[in-house]
Amino acid sequence: MLEGEKIVDLEPVVGFLHRGVEKLAENLNYAQVLPLTDRLDYISAMNNNTGYALCVERLLGIEPPPRGKYLRTMVCELARIASHLLWLATHALDIGAMTVFLYCFREREIILNFFEKICGSRLTVSYPRIGGVRLDVEEEVLEEIYNFIPYMYAKIEEYEGLLSENRIWLDRTIGIGVISGEEALAYGLTGPSLRGSGIAYDIRKHFPYDAYPVVEFEVPVGKNGDTYDRYWVRLQEMRQSLKIVKQCIEKLPEGPVCAELSPDLDMPLFKRAFKADAIGPVTLIAFLNEGMELVPKGEIYSAVEGAKGELGFYLVSDGTGRPYRLHIRAPSFIHISALKRLACGHFIADLIAIIGTLDIVMGECDR
Amino acid sequence: MRRDPKYLIFKDLLGGLLITLKTFFRKPVTVQYPKERVTIFPSFRGRHALVRDPETGEARCVACLKCVQVCPSRCIEVKFEVNPETGARKMLEYKLEALRCIYCGYCEEVCPVGAIVLTEWFEYSSRDRAGLIFDKEKLLKNWDEFIAKYPDKVYTNKFWNLKGIPEILKPAPKREGIWVKVKE
Repeated sequence: MLEGEKIVDLEPVVGFLHRGVEKLAENLNYAQVLPLTDRLDYISAMNNNTGYALCVERLLGIEPPPRGKYLRTMVCELARIASHLLWLATHALDIGAMTVFLYCFREREIILNFFEKICGSRLTVSYPRIGGVRLDVEEEVLEEIYNFIPYMYAKIEEYEGLLSENRIWLDRTIGIGVISGEEALAYGLTGPSLRGSGIAYDIRKHFPYDAYPVVEFEVPVGKNGDTYDRYWVRLQEMRQSLKIVKQCIEKLPEGPVCAELSPDLDMPLFKRAFKADAIGPVTLIAFLNEGMELVPKGEIYSAVEGAKGELGFYLVSDGTGRPYRLHIRAPSFIHISALKRLACGHFIADLIAIIGTLDIVMGECDR
Repeated sequence: MRRDPKYLIFKDLLGGLLITLKTFFRKPVTVQYPKERVTIFPSFRGRHALVRDPETGEARCVACLKCVQVCPSRCIEVKFEVNPETGARKMLEYKLEALRCIYCGYCEEVCPVGAIVLTEWFEYSSRDRAGLIFDKEKLLKNWDEFIAKYPDKVYTNKFWNLKGIPEILKPAPKREGIWVKVKE
């Protein structure tokens, strides 16, 4: 609702991209659910895959080998940079900086090319698997990624040179969408949106997973909790991510990339039965192997630091090869609920900046 | 801030313009697609194909149905017959709906003989649905089309040879690696 140019009331309407991922997961085995998680936050699919794989690993009690852990951390951070680049590109374009949009996509393309070299896909990667990663990375690709790091540092300087002091950018971002730390916590904001308000909550530091306990990095924290601070936090995060990628490549140990106890992609879920003297068309009859406990029974919640915030997977297992229930705590869904609080009282033209600053991906929001 | 001398001499805007000016003299990164081509890296997950065995001229598929079982979107359908004397299976029909496929590459990863592959071919749009529902002949034709343009003599795929994965997780024939000799 508007009063002249001012927003008085607002209601985000979600659900137009609903694909029923959680329900679909109930009909697939644990390994098959993994490609579905690509489609949640499709601009940082590596983080989703890792989050899901980690959740199942904790349920099954598997520990990936060190090389798998380091590779996963590396690709997660690359995905985080790619996601933040896309965020910066579209956020800046919304506010009116066309140049940054084109520059960011130029660098993002390089990261997507790395993904293509690593696993053969650019966006919907499905690269991590339960118990590690699906493939080893070639030395040449690692070298290319290593050489990319200083280049990317210089490019972040460029974005900052274009935006951080620009008078139009400052006018459009400072003091827009202010939220205090306590209030941000109360709304359930996580990730850069929370850290912009001065609370240093980061799953990578607080509940470390994969190779995060081993690598060194800082958690950048803003002060005022406005759009500019969240922008600043994300730019600093890109630098920290580059730092992590560099350490991962330097420390990368030798060895296998996947745990030996890792379940096969076709988990021993189905007992196949064929028509005995089959000549001609045969139908595949598949039914659940009743009474056999393939995975431990129980419930588990495990979260990773996605590019947008805390990405949690909650699994209920009933002992069969399929999840009984999968719930995804998607940061975008929770962030969009804070939109009303952030936007009320501002001009309608600032709404676009506020939507941009929350970094919402609808694929993740509606699931 | 507005009385800051830097602000008055437009230092912020001029600094930004300097960056754009520098970029202006760099080589453009745009690829003019139909005329220029982007490089597709090995093992890109593109159009599906059934590998034609160079010795027999038939598909390599042994109808183990692992791909059917593992496919998350259930887009593969296989019909086969069993030889009652030897027990050997023969694949009769292989239907793959590319419209449903999510290109996860699980099928080529579990295939024990390297029969199905997602080739590096990425230009295969169709005006109707029927054009993207591949049957056995179409899949073998896809392979021929792909291999005609393939530069090397031996084709192999990362998902056939799974580097860095423990031996125990690979199907037995994959432990030695799978490849196809495509040219003499």
